[in-house]
Order: sequence, then C-alpha cells, then structure tokens
Amino acid sequence: MANEPNESKYWKNLREYHNDPSVGDDKAREFAKGVTEDFDVDTLSPMSRKQFLGALAASAAFAAAGCSDYRDKGEIVPYNRKPEEITLGKPNFYASTCTGCAEACGILIKTREGRPIKIDGNPDHPVNQGKICAKGQASILNLYDPERLKEPMLVNSGILSKSSWKEVNTKIIAALTAAVNQKKEIALVTHTVTSPSAKRLLTEFVAKYPTAKIYSYELFNDLNRRSAWTKSNGGSFPLIQWDKAKVILAIESDFLGYDGNMPEQTRMFVSKRDVMKGKNFHASQSFGWNRLYSADATMHSTAMNADYRLRIRPDQQLEFVLSLINEFKPTAQLSKYSLSAFAKKNGLDEAVVKQLASDLSANKGAAIVHAGSTMPESVHIAVNMLNELLGNSALYRKDQSSVEHLELAKKEAWESLVANMNAGKVGVVVHFDTNPVYHLASDLGYTEGLKKVETIVTLAELTNESAGVSGFVLPINHPFESWGDHKTRTGLMSLQQPVISPLYDTHQKEAILLSWTNGNANENKDALYHAYIMNRWEKEVYPALKLKVDFKSFWYSALHDGVITYSEPAQSIAGFRNDAVKAIGLPAVSNDFVLYLHDNYFVGDGRFSNNGWLQEMPHPASKIAWDNYVAISVATAKELGAEEGTMVEVAVGGRSMKLPVHVQPGLADKFVAVMLGYGRSVSGSVGTGVGFNANQLMSKSSKLSQWLYSDVKVSTTSEKYLLASTQEHHSLDDTFLKDIQKKRDIVQEGTLIQYIDDPKFIEKEHHENTIVPRVKYDGVKWAMAIDLNKCTGCGVCTLSCNVENNIPVVGKEQVMKGREMTWIRIDRYFSGSSDAPSVANQPMMCQHCDNAPCENVCPVVATTHSPDGLNQMAYNRCVGTKYCSNNCPYKVRRFNFLDFRNEFNSEYQYQQPLNMMHNPEVTVRSRGVMEKCTFCVQRIMETRQHAIEDGVEFTGAGVTTACQEACPAEAIVFGNVNDKNSTIYKYRHHEVGYRVLEEINVGPNVTYIAKLRNTVEV
Amino acid sequence: MNKSFLDYFLKIRVPIILFVALASLTFTYYISRAERDGVGYQPEQPIPYSHKLHAGTMGIDCQYCHTGASKSRHAMVPPVNTCMNCHTVARKNRPEIIRLTQYYNEGKLMPWKRIHKVPDYAYFNHSVHVNKGIECQTCHGNIQEMDVVKQANSWTMNNCISCHRTAPVKLANIPGIKKGPENCFACHR
Repeated sequence: MANEPNESKYWKNLREYHNDPSVGDDKAREFAKGVTEDFDVDTLSPMSRKQFLGALAASAAFAAAGCSDYRDKGEIVPYNRKPEEITLGKPNFYASTCTGCAEACGILIKTREGRPIKIDGNPDHPVNQGKICAKGQASILNLYDPERLKEPMLVNSGILSKSSWKEVNTKIIAALTAAVNQKKEIALVTHTVTSPSAKRLLTEFVAKYPTAKIYSYELFNDLNRRSAWTKSNGGSFPLIQWDKAKVILAIESDFLGYDGNMPEQTRMFVSKRDVMKGKNFHASQSFGWNRLYSADATMHSTAMNADYRLRIRPDQQLEFVLSLINEFKPTAQLSKYSLSAFAKKNGLDEAVVKQLASDLSANKGAAIVHAGSTMPESVHIAVNMLNELLGNSALYRKDQSSVEHLELAKKEAWESLVANMNAGKVGVVVHFDTNPVYHLASDLGYTEGLKKVETIVTLAELTNESAGVSGFVLPINHPFESWGDHKTRTGLMSLQQPVISPLYDTHQKEAILLSWTNGNANENKDALYHAYIMNRWEKEVYPALKLKVDFKSFWYSALHDGVITYSEPAQSIAGFRNDAVKAIGLPAVSNDFVLYLHDNYFVGDGRFSNNGWLQEMPHPASKIAWDNYVAISVATAKELGAEEGTMVEVAVGGRSMKLPVHVQPGLADKFVAVMLGYGRSVSGSVGTGVGFNANQLMSKSSKLSQWLYSDVKVSTTSEKYLLASTQEHHSLDDTFLKDIQKKRDIVQEGTLIQYIDDPKFIEKEHHENTIVPRVKYDGVKWAMAIDLNKCTGCGVCTLSCNVENNIPVVGKEQVMKGREMTWIRIDRYFSGSSDAPSVANQPMMCQHCDNAPCENVCPVVATTHSPDGLNQMAYNRCVGTKYCSNNCPYKVRRFNFLDFRNEFNSEYQYQQPLNMMHNPEVTVRSRGVMEKCTFCVQRIMETRQHAIEDGVEFTGAGVTTACQEACPAEAIVFGNVNDKNSTIYKYRHHEVGYRVLEEINVGPNVTYIAKLRNTVEV
Repeated sequence: MNKSFLDYFLKIRVPIILFVALASLTFTYYISRAERDGVGYQPEQPIPYSHKLHAGTMGIDCQYCHTGASKSRHAMVPPVNTCMNCHTVARKNRPEIIRLTQYYNEGKLMPWKRIHKVPDYAYFNHSVHVNKGIECQTCHGNIQEMDVVKQANSWTMNNCISCHRTAPVKLANIPGIKKGPENCFACHR
C-alpha cells in the first residue's frame, strides 16, 4: 500500500490523488517535456526570422531603387500665361481689412505665388498703424482650414445633404417671398456691421422684403458704456487720447487687452513708457511717464501691467467710484461714501488709495478714468461724472469719433423676436455669419423658438451650433476671399479686397444677400458685390471728396493703400448732465460669490475656436492653453477646499455648470471669473469640446450686467480635471524657487524714481576673462533688444513667429508634456504676496550667445556660429541627441519629439490645403530634429539679397524680424549692433539694459531694458 | 599534406580580403560617379526646344526668358506666353510650333522635365549670384551649345563650397569678387 490516496483537500487529477511521484516532477518544470528538449536547431531552417525580414526589406529596397529612375527630378510646370505682377520667389503685398472683430483694422496681406502666407497691420491705416492683434495674425489658418464648409447644403427629408447654389437660392427666395406674403417676420441676425455698403445692402434687403428685421449682436459689446454715455452726456462715447494721459485709472478695464482696439490703445499707452524718449526726465525730474492704476478683480493684461493694483470686486466698483467722486466734490447725496472707509472695508492699502486721489487731483485734465465694457451702466455714468469733475474730458478726442452703422439690438428686441417665433409669426431666420444658438443667453429661449420657424438659413465658414439646427447651410468666403469697405471712425474708410480666389464653392455673404435682394437665384457672383461697392463709391464717396483725378485712378489708389482719409467733422462731445446722477443705482454689494464672465485673448467669441494656433496660446496671466476654467483666489481656494484642477459647480439663478479650478494669484476673494468663447459643441475637429461653454451661465436679465452676476453659489466636487499649463515649462532653473527671477537677475526691475536718482542702478556683471580668445565681429553683428517697459505680454509676437516660421500646433496632450513648439515664449514672473503679486513679463527666445553653450556639445556640428553672430541650426545635419537643449541656459530650444503635423488631430496639418499656408522661405522641420529662433534669418537674407541686387553695401538696416514687425508696443528692436547709428546700438548700451544670466559668460545678444515701475514710496 | 597557416591565409583570407576591398571600391565608385549627382542627365522635353538655336545661334539673352534670374531666387522657367511673344509670328507653321500654340490657346500647362535640382533643405538664390556678375555657364555649363539641355556640373555641397572658398581665383574675371559665405545659415535655414 505504498500509494495511499493523499489527504490534501484539492486535487487536479487522479495521479495527484494517488500521489504519483511523477506529478512533483512535472510541476517543477516550466514547460512540459518535449517542448524544449527535443528542439534540434540543425533540423530547422538556417535563416532566422530576423534575417528573413532583413533580406525581405533589402530586396524590396533594391527592387525599388533598381526600378525607379533615380535621375528623374520631376517636372517644372510654369504658368501658361503668367500674371504680370507675380515674380516667383518674390512676395506681393495687398492692403485689406481684417473682419475678425468689430474693430476692422487695416491689414497688409503677404502673398507668394498667389497664396496668402502672412498677415500684418497696414502701416498706412491711421488707427492700428501697422499692427494687429493675435487673432488677426493667426486668421490665415482659418482661410486654409481643411474643415471649412465647401458647398451649399440643405436638409432633405431630415438629412443635411449637398445641393447647388441655384437650388438653395431658389428655395430661400421662395421662402422669403412667402413670408412677406403671409405677413410673417423675416429675422436677419448679424454681428456688428462695419461696412457702409453692407449697411445699404441690408436696407435694400428690408425694402425688398418689408417684413424683414435686422438684429445685430456681439457677445462682448460696449452697450453699457454707450447707453450710459447717452444718459449722462448724449451722443456716442468719445475716443480717448491715451497717449496724453499722465494718470490712468482702469476700472475692471482691460484696455491693453480685450477692451477696445488693442493695437491702438497699446501703442498710445506705451508711448509714455519709452526709456529712449525720456531724456527730459533726468533734467526736469518731471514724470514724462504715465502712471497706471488698475482697480480690478481679475488678472488681465492691464492689471498685470499696472503700477498700482487695487483689488476690488466688480460689484464694489460703483461704491469705489462714488467715494472717489465724494472725495473731490463732497455732496450730501454721496456723503456716506468715504474713500478711506472703503479702503478699510475692502482691505485696500490706504496709502495707495490716497496716492491715487492726489494723483488724480494733481493731474486734472491729464488723467483718465476708464471703466471696462463689462461694468454695469451705473458704474459708467459715475465714471463719466468723475472724468467731468476732474476736467479729464480734455482727453476726449475732438478730431475723431467712432461710427456706428447699425445699433446693436436691445434685450427687448430679442424678447419680442422670441415671442414672435413662439407665436409662429416668424417665417424665415437668416444667421448672417452669426452663431446665436451658442452666443445668446439660454433663458432667452432662442433655440427653442427656432423650432417653430419654418426656414432657418445659416451662412458660415465653418460649421457651428446654429448651422446644426438650420435647414439651409450656406458656405461663405473667408475675408481674404471677399470684397468690402469698412468705416469705424470719422474721416477714414478702409477697403477689403480678395487676395485669393475662393478655395471652395463658396460666395461672400453680401453677394448671397444681394442675389436674394435682386430675387435672382442664378445671379450669385462675388463680382456682383464688387460692382455694388464700386458703384456706391462712385456715386457717394468719390463725388463728396471733390478730387481732381478720375474715379478709376482714385479707386485703384484707394485699393492700393487700403484706406482713404478725408476731413470729416467728428461728433461734438456734450458735457455731463448733472441730472444723470439720478440714474446711478445704489451699489448692491452681495456677500456671496460674484461671477464674472469675460472675454478671452485668443479665440474671440468662439469664432476662432477651430484655430489651433490660437487655442495653443497660453493665457497671459494663467499660462493655461486649450481650456477655460474658473479662476479663484488663493484664499477662496482654501475656503472652498479646492485646488488646481478640482471641478467646482458654479450655480447662479437656477443655471449651473461644472468647471475646473485655476488658483490665480492676485484675484479678488469671494469671486469667480470664467472666460467665454470656449466649449463649442459644434465646430471643427480642433475646436469642438475645447473648454466649457460658460455662455449657459448668462441670463437675459441681470441686476448688474450681462457678464456680472451676484449671489452665486460655488461648491466643490470630488472630480478632477487636467489643465494644460505652460507656466513651469522651459524654466530657467531646476527648482521653482520663489522670486528666482530676482535672485538670478533674470528680470531686473526698479522704479522710475530710482532710475532718475541713479541711472546705473541695475546689476550688471561683465566677464571679460576667458581662456579662449573672443571672436571679433567686424562686419554686421545681429542683436535684439526688448523693452520690458513696453511689453504688455499680449503674445502677438508668438503668433507672428508661428506663422512666419511654420510652427506646428501640437495639441493639449503634448502641451501637458511640455512639447509646445513656439520659438518665442512669454515668461510671466510673479513677485510679492499671492494676494497682490506684481507681475513681470519677459519674452524669451534664443539669445544667439557669442559663446553659445549649445554649440560646444553638439556631436554632429549641427549648430554653429555664423560670422554675423547668429547661432545657426542646420536641420539636415541634426540627429536629435538633444544635448544642445540640455546645455541651453535659457531653455529656448524646441525638439520635434513627434511629427506634430501628423500626430495632432489625426494628420490634420497634413490635409489639403493647409500645406499652402507654409512660408516657402522656411524649412518645414521633421521628427527628431531640434529647432529654435533663427532671428528670422530668411528676412535677413532677403534684405541682404536686395542690397546685392542694388549693388550697395549691406549695413544691416531695414531688417525686421516677424516678432518685431508684429509687436503692437514696438517693444522689440533688432539690428546691426556694430552700426553706431542704429537704434539697436542705443538700446544695447542703455543704462538700464541688461542681458539675462550674463554672469555665466555665454555672451547673450538679447538686451532687456529693465522694467521701471512708475511708483513712489508710500 | 598538412594544412599550414600559410595555406589557410593564401587560400581563404587573401581572396576574401581582395574580394571585399574590390567590391567596396566598385560599389563606392559606382554610387559616387558624377552621373549619380545628375551630371549628364538629359531628359526628353515635351517640346524639343533648342537652347543652341535660341541662345547660341540667335544670341537671345538668357534673361529674356529666365526673367527671375536677376530678381529672385528662382530663375524661372518661362511661361508659355513668353514663347508666344515671337512664335505668334515666327515659324508658326512648323509642327512643333503648332503644338506649342495649341498649349497656349488651350491654356494647357507645359510639363517641362526638371534637370537641375537643389535639395529641399538647401537654399539657393539666383539673383545674388547673377547680380555679382557670375555667368550662368559657371554652373549650368555651355547651355548655348546644347540642343537638348543636360546637367553639366554636379549639384553637391562640395561643389557649392569649393566655389565659395575659391571665388577670387576661380572667378578671377569678375573684378573685386569676394569669397562666398561658408556659414550654415547661408544655405540651410
């Protein structure tokens, strides 16, 4: 009985049950017998799998090489008839007008072989004077967006299907005629009309279809400012001479960012921040500079650039302004508002508030108080009164005033439209390049009302929320494919001309409207609207100017310049009516959270959502890209128990939504700020679902303003969300030390007074000792200077560089990994307390060091130095070791970890016609290659080429880099530093000019002018 | 007989070494022939246009057709309308000119075979060279003697650089010519 059944509880087979000794043997083996032992190599094929694959690949390669004609170099296909103005390889420039927003800035479009490749401001345009905003710079991507609507579509038995222009026009004209016959309303919804010709066309449309009504709207508008002015002074709000103001008090006004004409206001503001113009301030000690006070709750561009910041919640602004008024002109009515009591109550620095009051009274007639467009009407009236009281109305521009062609529709008009829709009294709704389904407050009921409308027509470049509920979707031209004329100010008119034929079967929106007005479905040509504009100019504009030239010459010279100026009286500015004070409501300060919805810097009201370049631009203060969020202060975050990325629920008046938190230093407490323009649910594949649609928090009626809500409830949830922030990317040091920028003199700053007392006050550490002889630069030597006093951190330089240098979009996931490819970044440094930090912006790009550390470590000599002082990068030589990036102290080198054109959004950037957007003068880099700022070497070479062609010596004058050309503040200077007469020479040898990390003796060639704050010791 | 080390060396080692050396030499020679760089490439063109006749015999200036040469980075292959400047009148009954006229009238594009090509990653600018007084023939060979154009010189970095380094010697006929730039950014950017 040797084999007694074993007594263990589990068994797998009977052998085990009977304690067969072979079981233990089997268990000890990894593999069963015969699987490995009997494996005889000799019996198998001598070729391994690897060898087989190798041979296969080699034979395929040989076959391919052998069969292809390696000498064949393809074809050169010249024009059949070459347009006379085109020389291959030379750009042509056309003046036009940007229609990205209601500002209608003049632009200059650079085309190569008929393709637009770069947009800059039109230097002849008197308003924006050669500069445009980031959106304008990047708008070229919208032209070549592969996802643009390509042909007219209509809903056929429930499905949106392709159609022809003739069919859709016939049906729409029939619907319009039927609506008129049935006495049903035709609603045409448009954005701000800036074009006099389009205005006339709209009038003619209404004349043809008498039941038609025009509704114009903007998500971000200055209706409150306008209506306040009408109540307090009458007429339209005047333009401000920002360049004359010595003291500026911005009341939640981002006039350096999204409030008003950013290029113009930035230029005017920084004209009083110029260290080069400041010769007088040594001698006279008088402040030639302006002083900016910003009273705000959010961290916007103006707040970041303010000399003094007062943290005031938007609902308390009225009380603040009233107490200022009381300070200067005490009245019984306002006696309860005291400035010092207000300061005490809100934890403001009393000394600063006193200083503000004394500055305002000392600079009567040379100061300006400006309230942001999002502020309630009563704040604007109070501000108007304060300006009048201080004599600041002297800074209103008397030579020019803004022109409004069509008033924005008021709340009541929308309510009656929706009521009519619900009553079935609206026959046709035309969305004239607008997206009201996304933009309008949800409690207006517009989207529900649309369901009762028979015919809905949406004209759009790209699909949108409104197109999704429409029966007809008509594709329209991009502005670069369209004709137009625009008038935003008195005394000037700018023209818009197409620079490329429509890429798809599209028509410009005015031409479509014109064919409806003519009632002819076949007549749908852009040329019709061209003739329409010319006709209006010949009949109305040209005769009024009483010129000596004939109309054709006038027209072509106007097209060439892009803008005409003539004398036209500006609107007279009425004084403040004292009875308007009664219209000022009483401040209603709530103890609960206040919600502030505001504009963003890059995607506008959502119309640029499909533009990857703009989505990828980090917000100037938060440095978050590809998202919006709810910004809260550090104290509020503690109170809520929320941290970065926590989802919180924001609820106001029955509307609520969840948003991720961004803890923003410097924000007001008990206050939440959310950017609008994000969270598009129907857009292209880039923009759909980016961020959160905070429009749904808007209400048609608010106690304060459309963008401002009190009694808001905020509650923390357990959910988390990842925000892509570039804040800590490419940091100049290993550790994130507090105030690192000061400890290592990365950002140097002081006060104006300090500079006047001791012009050489900043730290400069020069190293002249070196073991290798310094290279002498005898000819041209390139250098750049950046004036930190002028830089507002707007980011236009980055966008301009992206377009000029073919920089790809990488997407949110890659940004989170720190792989954004922008060559110029704007470092934002905070200093001071987290409640009231002071901010310094610093554009950072390749410093083209004389002793460049990157060059020494490259194992393949792909990065070297040129005789004119450029740090060169030969892409075809680079093997991607990334040593150079490791060794760069400024962290400005960018590595192509992936072929981002291929990786981002499934080959999005390889789709036609996006390849047409590339600048042909700059290599498109491939995967595995390092790249960085080249100081726009293609532009340097182009100027050099012209010098050789003209047979003159190349002195380096006339070279502008893309960032320099675009900078609205003209903070960037570039040139030949060996030329003693050049501007760059003066900057490089300026008293407060310094080089970043100069002590490590790499010899950087970018000079920064130290930031001088116009503050005094108080 | 015992196999000695010498036997092994002479019979096996030497032939293998010789074979490898010879094979590499042949291979290297084969792939580095000037022809591999495109020298001598002479494809058939859609219209048998003769540079020998136009530029040589008739002495038409190169820049009459290649208008970009002194103005732009591209010399420019002329558009069909340049041909028609003369050929609406000259020799208009010849079969090839009739074909050319057809191209022109129908707005068809002329697919000329490309002969000279600088790689994508290298930048070359005609106007800076032409305006310095460098003859077209310096790089393109004696075009005015070619009935069918072929590539005369190899288009390698070596060739570019050798001229940039020795310009005052090589192009001594041009007074005051200096060395060309040798830094990377001059051509790679």
